[in-house]
Amino acid sequence: MRNGFRYYLDVITVLAQKDFKIRYRNSVLGFFWSLLNPLAYMVILTMVFSVLLRVNIPNYAPWFLIGVLVWRFFSTGTRQGLVSILANTSLVTKVYLPRYLIVLSNNLANFLGSGLEFLALLPLLVVLGVRLTWYALLLPAVLISEYLLIYGLSLSLSSLNVKYRDFDQLWDIALQLGFFLVPLVYDVSLIPVRYRTLYLLNPVTALMVFARDILLLDQPPTTFDVAVIISGVALFFTIGFLVFRRREGRLAEEL
Amino acid sequence: MAPFISVEDVWKLFRIPHQKRPTIIEHIAGALSVLEGERYSYEEFCALRKIGFEIERGESLGIIGPNGSGKSTLLKLMAKTMKPDRGAIMTNGSVAPILELGIGFHLDLTAKENALVYGVILGLRRSEMKKRTASILDFAGLTRFQDARLKNLSSGMQVRLAFAIAIETEADIFLVDEALAVGDMEFQQKCLAKFREFKKEGKSIVFVSHNMNLVKDFCEKALYLQNGEMKVIGTSEEVTKKYVEDIQPLYKAG
Repeated sequence: MRNGFRYYLDVITVLAQKDFKIRYRNSVLGFFWSLLNPLAYMVILTMVFSVLLRVNIPNYAPWFLIGVLVWRFFSTGTRQGLVSILANTSLVTKVYLPRYLIVLSNNLANFLGSGLEFLALLPLLVVLGVRLTWYALLLPAVLISEYLLIYGLSLSLSSLNVKYRDFDQLWDIALQLGFFLVPLVYDVSLIPVRYRTLYLLNPVTALMVFARDILLLDQPPTTFDVAVIISGVALFFTIGFLVFRRREGRLAEEL
Repeated sequence: MAPFISVEDVWKLFRIPHQKRPTIIEHIAGALSVLEGERYSYEEFCALRKIGFEIERGESLGIIGPNGSGKSTLLKLMAKTMKPDRGAIMTNGSVAPILELGIGFHLDLTAKENALVYGVILGLRRSEMKKRTASILDFAGLTRFQDARLKNLSSGMQVRLAFAIAIETEADIFLVDEALAVGDMEFQQKCLAKFREFKKEGKSIVFVSHNMNLVKDFCEKALYLQNGEMKVIGTSEEVTKKYVEDIQPLYKAG
């Protein structure tokens, strides 16, 4: 009764639905916020960077918008993944279900939100004068790899955060640093050549470059970026799996 | 045939640190002070020791004992939300736990939405659950409040919803932790009637209670826990009598 593929599928569906609903509850505009938010962000930063600081990037608005959505997916995904176990204390202490499903479903709700943001992005890009090509069909590959990366990280973060609440604060700082470690407001060419390879080893950077390649520059992703993404996902997934498995047994006592 | 539920030599230890160190910095400070001779120390608190019993199909067990004697911990182990440090618990069927207040609802979701989430977690198909929501809300007496958020419902109403969902899942084993005491008399009777029906169908109910009459009436067997150990196990008649005798001197002294 409580096993098998159908059970897992049903549990994941209701939990993801629940997280999705809770996220937009109590707000009048609901889901539209996740579209308005990056747009407002884009307007502000386009003003700051193209008018005040005069960054020379062609097609700055769409270039920036793609980056923002990739970054938003990562930052909100991991931030919410981190608190997913704590926010669902009763699911851990009062009923039994495989605990990783709580994290997985939370990430999935986020994936859904970001997926819709990207869906809304495409017509916007056309309005901004971008000519989309067949390469745009690779976008799901970007989103799925990013989901897996977020899931791997969330497994570690959510289970560690139960015992050490510091991870909440630490991750916030890491994300603030990360904001400047990815080519979001500036271009990769700004990084000195000596550090560039190191800089490009960041899987979030690789995802951002990948997304811009296929949506804006009409070119396939580079092998280098694909390799960085695959190894990044594999690495964080393995760490997440091991950490979670180790911590899982004591979660109910620590909550 | 194998027993329905078997609990074999179960031990559960909790670590109680002498100094609480909930943050990393404090842990590092603690580790450093080990070098200076002040040890990172904790006490092992044995919440349960040497617990072993069996329950047959259709039988119900009442667990009694003073606060802190390990009743709820034992129920949590049976519900698998915690793992025993030693020993094993085997159940030959699906388990529906009704532990403490609510089965773990989300206060921002409506009664109906919560019913869907928990019914599915307890093993009902999503499609099945959609058909049964009406009868769950009806049993809980919450049809009028189905779209009210849970935070706006009274604690008694929340417990009623929890029971209604758990009952609808048609599990084989029900674990009930005091929760029944929160519902009103009418609802208690309704649940007990349902549980009696279930017993006839060969399901088992384990419940923790301070209501000796209830344990005596409803359960064949009872387990009296004291300080994490099995003080007496036997027919509910004998065990409740022993418990009442044990607390009798306290009344006289008062």
